[in-house]
Amino acid sequence: MNGIELLRIAVLVVYIVSGLLLSSLIVGKRIHQRRQLAHYRRRAKYLALLSRGLTTPDLRVDLGPRVAEDQAFLDALIDIRTSVIGPESDELATFVGRFGVMEGYARRLRGRLFVTRRLRAAVALAEVADDSFAPVLMDHLGDREPEIRIQAARGLARMHWTPAIDAIVDRFSVENPWVRSRFEDTLLSFGSKATWPLIAYIRVNHRFESPGSAAAIRTLANLGDRDAVTPLIDILGRASDIEIKLAAIETLGVLGVPLAFESLEKMFTAEDWRLRAKAATALAKVGDPRSLPALSSGLIDSNWWVRRNAAQGLSRYPEGIRRLHAAIRSAFPFARDAAAEALADAGEVIAARQRIEEGVPTDEDLELIEFIQSELVVPG
Amino acid sequence: MTLEIIKWIGYGTVAYYVVLQVYMFALALLSGYVLRRTYHTRRFGRVNEMLSSQTSPPISILIPAYNEVAGIVDSVRSMSIVGYPRFEIVVTNDGSTDGTLEALIAAFRLEKVRIPYRPDIETARIRAFYRGRGAVDITVIDKENGGRADALNAAINAARYPYVLCTDADVVMDAAALVRGMQRVVEDRERTIGVGGNIRPLNGSRVELGHLISASVPRRMIPRMQVLEYMRTFLASRPGWSAMSALPLVSGAFGIWKRSALLEVGGYKRGHLGEDLDITMRLHRHHRDKGIPYRIVYESSAVLWTEVPDNVRVLRRQRIRWHRGLMTATRDFLPMTFNPRYGALGMVTWAGFFLFEFLAPLLEVTGWVMLPLAYALGALNTETVVLMLLLALGAGLMNSLVALWLDEPYGFYTGPEDTSRLIVIAMIESFGLRQMTVLWRIRAVLGGKRTRHWGQMERKGVANLGARA
Repeated sequence: MNGIELLRIAVLVVYIVSGLLLSSLIVGKRIHQRRQLAHYRRRAKYLALLSRGLTTPDLRVDLGPRVAEDQAFLDALIDIRTSVIGPESDELATFVGRFGVMEGYARRLRGRLFVTRRLRAAVALAEVADDSFAPVLMDHLGDREPEIRIQAARGLARMHWTPAIDAIVDRFSVENPWVRSRFEDTLLSFGSKATWPLIAYIRVNHRFESPGSAAAIRTLANLGDRDAVTPLIDILGRASDIEIKLAAIETLGVLGVPLAFESLEKMFTAEDWRLRAKAATALAKVGDPRSLPALSSGLIDSNWWVRRNAAQGLSRYPEGIRRLHAAIRSAFPFARDAAAEALADAGEVIAARQRIEEGVPTDEDLELIEFIQSELVVPG
Repeated sequence: MTLEIIKWIGYGTVAYYVVLQVYMFALALLSGYVLRRTYHTRRFGRVNEMLSSQTSPPISILIPAYNEVAGIVDSVRSMSIVGYPRFEIVVTNDGSTDGTLEALIAAFRLEKVRIPYRPDIETARIRAFYRGRGAVDITVIDKENGGRADALNAAINAARYPYVLCTDADVVMDAAALVRGMQRVVEDRERTIGVGGNIRPLNGSRVELGHLISASVPRRMIPRMQVLEYMRTFLASRPGWSAMSALPLVSGAFGIWKRSALLEVGGYKRGHLGEDLDITMRLHRHHRDKGIPYRIVYESSAVLWTEVPDNVRVLRRQRIRWHRGLMTATRDFLPMTFNPRYGALGMVTWAGFFLFEFLAPLLEVTGWVMLPLAYALGALNTETVVLMLLLALGAGLMNSLVALWLDEPYGFYTGPEDTSRLIVIAMIESFGLRQMTVLWRIRAVLGGKRTRHWGQMERKGVANLGARA
C-alpha cells in the first residue's frame, strides 16, 4: 500500500467517524431530551402515587415488576422521603415495602456488576428502607465501591441501627480520607451513643494510627458530648502524635469545659507552635477567665499564628478587650496589628468611630482609630 | 533535489498534523473514559453533605482586581453566595485607577482596618487593608500596581485559611463549584496541593445578582469559537492529563492550592505572562525533585464562568500573551521536557505542550508555505494536496465533535439553537479563525515590546454579557 492509498483511507476513516459523531450528537440530543421529558412525567406519576399511598394505606396499585430499575421512581421516592418525617416516613417504607421494591434494591446491591445500578440500589435502601434491611447495609460497609460504603453508613444511621456504630468506627483505620470524612458526619446521626465507641477506638489506636484517631477525636467535637472531656484530657497527656494532639486540643476547646483549662494551658507552653496556636483558640473557647494571662502573653509569642489566635481569644472576654486596647500601645508591631484586627472583628472599631462621630470618644477610641489611620508599615 | 526536500517537508508537516490529531483524539478518549467513570459518583454522591460538615477545610477565595469596576461587585457577590461552609474572600486592588476600590467600599461597607499581615512573599507596597461590615467575610488589600501575580501573592500573604482559590474578577462561580473542587482536597488532604476547575465562557449567558440564570452559546463568532475551544481543553484534554497524574496547567481562573505549597515555591512569579502555567509546573518540579508525595488534579464538575474576549483585537492580545507565557515556560522547564524522571508529565503532557502548543504555529505555517509551493513546483499532485487538506480539516472537526459529545452530560447547552451554533463553528473554524490564531502566535514568537505586556481586557461586566453577545 503506497502513501496516497493510506492517505485516502485515513481521510475516509476520519470523515466516517466525524459523520457518525455528528449524526449521533444530533439524534442523541433529541433522544436525550425526550427521555428527560418522559422521566419527569414518570416521576410526577410516581410522586402522585406515593402521596396517595401515604394517605390511603390500603391503596391497591400495581407498580410493575421493573419499578426498582426506574430512576424516576427512585427520584420520586427520595423527593417524598425528604418531605416527610416521623411516623410518615415509616408508613412510606411500609407502603413501598408492600411491592417488594426494597427486596429488588437489596438484590441489585448484592450484584457484582453495573456500579451505577448498585449505587442506585444503595441510595434507595439508605433513603427509604426499614431496619429489616440493616443487615444488608451492614454487609456493604466494606463494599469495594466507596460511595456504596458511604450510602450504607448513611442508611444505618438513618435507621439508628446502633450495632453499626462499632462497625463504622472500626473502619476509620482502613478508609480513605473521603469516606472517613463522610463517616464522621454520619456518626453524628447516632448522637451521644457514638461517644464511647469513639473513645474506645481512640484509646486503642492513638499510639499507632494517626489519621483515624484524629478523625474520631474531631467527631467527638461535633457530637458535643461533654462525657468525652476527661478521656480526651487523658489522651492529650499521653499522645505523642502531633495530629492527635491538635485534634484533642481543638475538641476540648469546642466542648468548652473549664475542666480542660489546665491541660490546654500546658499546651500553650509547648515547643511546637501549632500546639500553641491551637491551644490559644481552645483556651478562648473554654471561657475560663484564668486564660487571660496566658492569652496576653501569647500576643508577644515568637509565632505569628499564636499571636493572632491569642488576640482573637482575648476579644472573647470583656477584660480581654481592655488588654487588647492596651496592646495597641505595645512596642511590638505584630502585637499591635493582631490586637487591632481582633478589636475590629469584635466590632470595637465601628463602635469607636461611632463614639467619635457622636463627640463622646474615650482615649482608647482615639488611640485605636489613630493607629488604624496611621501609615501602614509592613515588616520585612 | 530541492523539489524532493520541499515535498518531504510537506509530508513532514502533514505527518506532524496527523500525530497531533491522534494525540488529541487519544487524550479525548481517555478523558471521556474518566468523565464516564466519575459520572455516577457526581450523580449520586453525597458531595452536598460537605456543605454542612465541620470536616470541610476552610478556604480563602483570592481575587486580584486591576481596573475591574465594571464587574468586581457582581463577581464578589457571586463568590459570596457560593455553597461552602467556611470561606473568606480576599480581594487585592492592584493599584486600580477606575474606582474599583471605591465600588467595593460602597457595596460591601468596607472599613479601613489593620491586620497582622505577614509578607511571606515579597510584593509591591501595601497601602491599606479593609474589612467588610456586612454579611460577606471580605478583606480588601489596597496596594500599588504590580501585576496579577503580585496581587495574588499579596492575597496569599493575607489569607487566613490553609487552602486558597486563586480566581479572577470577571467570573461567575457555579454554586457547587467550590464544594466539588474541595471534595478532591478532602479525598486526600495530605497529598493534594492543587485542584483545577472547568472554565466556561460566560458571554451570551444571562447573569443576575451574581447568579447564572441561563447558559447559551453566543451568537458572535469570536466568543463562540472560544466556547468550543474551552470544551476541547477542559473536557477533552484535562481529565485525561489529570488521570495520568500529569496535569501541567491549572487555569488562573480557578485554581485551588494548598497555601503552604505556594509559599514553599515563593508564590507566583511577577511579570510572567503565563503565571498559572509557571506555578503549576514549578510545584510539579519542586515536589518531584524533592521526592515529596503530592497530587495536582482536575475536577470537571467544578464549573466557573468567565468573560472571554469578544472582538478580534482583544483576543489577539490575549493569544499573543498566552503564547509569550508558554514560550517563557518552555524555556524555564526545558530540562523537564522528554525527561523520564518526571514520569508522564515529562514524557507525555509537558512533551505534548512542547510539541503541539509551542512548536505548532511554526510547523503549521511551514505547512501552509510548503504545501502550495510543492504543488506549484509539481512535487505533489492535486489529489495528494486535496487529500491532505481534507484530512487536516476532518481530523480537526472530529476532535471538536468529540468535545461536544463530552459536554452532553453537563446539560448547559440544551436548546437546538445552541447545538446548531456549536456544530456550525466546529465546521467553519478551520476556515480562517484557526489560521488567525496561528498568525498571532507567530507574532508572539517574533516578539517585540508590544508582546511583553498584559494589555487591558475590555470588560463589559459579568451582568452585561448576555444582551450583546
